[in-house]
Amino acid sequence: MIDQFEATRYVAGRLSDELVVASLGNAKYDLFRARDRALNFYMWNSMGMACSMALGLAMARPERRVIVLDGDGSLLMNLGSLATEATRAPANLIHIVWDNRQYQLTGGQPTHTSFRTDLARIAEGAGYERADRVETLEAFNRSFDRAMNGPGPWFILALVNTSTSTARPPKSPTFIKHRFMTELGVEH
Amino acid sequence: MGWAETIVDCLKQHRIRFINYVPDAIGEKILRLVRNDSAFEILPLSREEEGVGVTCGQAVGGARGMLMMPTSGLGNSLNALASLPIPYRIPFPMLIGYRGALGEFNATQVPMGQATPAMLKALNIPYFSLEREAEVRVVTEGALKLTYSLESPVAILVSTQLVGWKE
Repeated sequence: MIDQFEATRYVAGRLSDELVVASLGNAKYDLFRARDRALNFYMWNSMGMACSMALGLAMARPERRVIVLDGDGSLLMNLGSLATEATRAPANLIHIVWDNRQYQLTGGQPTHTSFRTDLARIAEGAGYERADRVETLEAFNRSFDRAMNGPGPWFILALVNTSTSTARPPKSPTFIKHRFMTELGVEH
Repeated sequence: MGWAETIVDCLKQHRIRFINYVPDAIGEKILRLVRNDSAFEILPLSREEEGVGVTCGQAVGGARGMLMMPTSGLGNSLNALASLPIPYRIPFPMLIGYRGALGEFNATQVPMGQATPAMLKALNIPYFSLEREAEVRVVTEGALKLTYSLESPVAILVSTQLVGWKE
């Protein structure tokens, strides 16, 4: 089983000018704790929207790699997005799902992935040509390195333990947005 | 120039590049014009809510997009609208093919159609109706100008007075 924070730290350590969208909950807490940076976009709500936001970013900035750190509960809420991502297939998109098989922040209720549902197979069925399912940190690191060094889109399902990060990213939505856009050099 | 051509012309003037959509008969009149126009890229969605995330991502990335959808799609998008473009202050043009009002044949479209203005009002989203051909340009241009100055969603409702109703 993968430690979600350790895997997030591996991702954060390899970032240069990549755009990162972090889904609500532990995905964004771990990203903030691992490495806060202007090009992190933290979602405070909008469950399911992180990957759609990343698709929009990938379309707007084809020269930049876009990474979304998603959760199993969030993706289950917006499964159709996988079909849209695979259809548009931006080469610069990396969709990572931290799958802890539960809604951890609301009390650990099981998600469907704790039973029969396999999000990597769903991604393949949606049309992803590169969908990995990894269960160890070493396998995750290898998969992520491949994604960072070749054309995508990539889908990586990482089976993780529950997360324990207590750090909290900035709470002001407009601060998060302005900091991100300013760093990206977008006039607004 | 028909109403659809006028709308497309306004989109171009405001440098809108991405048309993210769930199709309806009204939107198809726009899609027909933009499919083979290199100024635009169209993105089919599986559900309107996705379009909220996608359009916001495009905006934050420095490109302009629009969400085009039928009335029913507004209901599918509400929490995403309330929690993403409104609090993060992201310009967000919506073009809604208005069903469930004047001349509607399908009773199941009517409750959402009648609730549409109330839902937009409840979220403080300015909205404007396209009802007469002569006003299409001023309303569309004004709504687009407003969404970029306000940095928040603005809706354009394409009404049956303008485009006719489904039989």
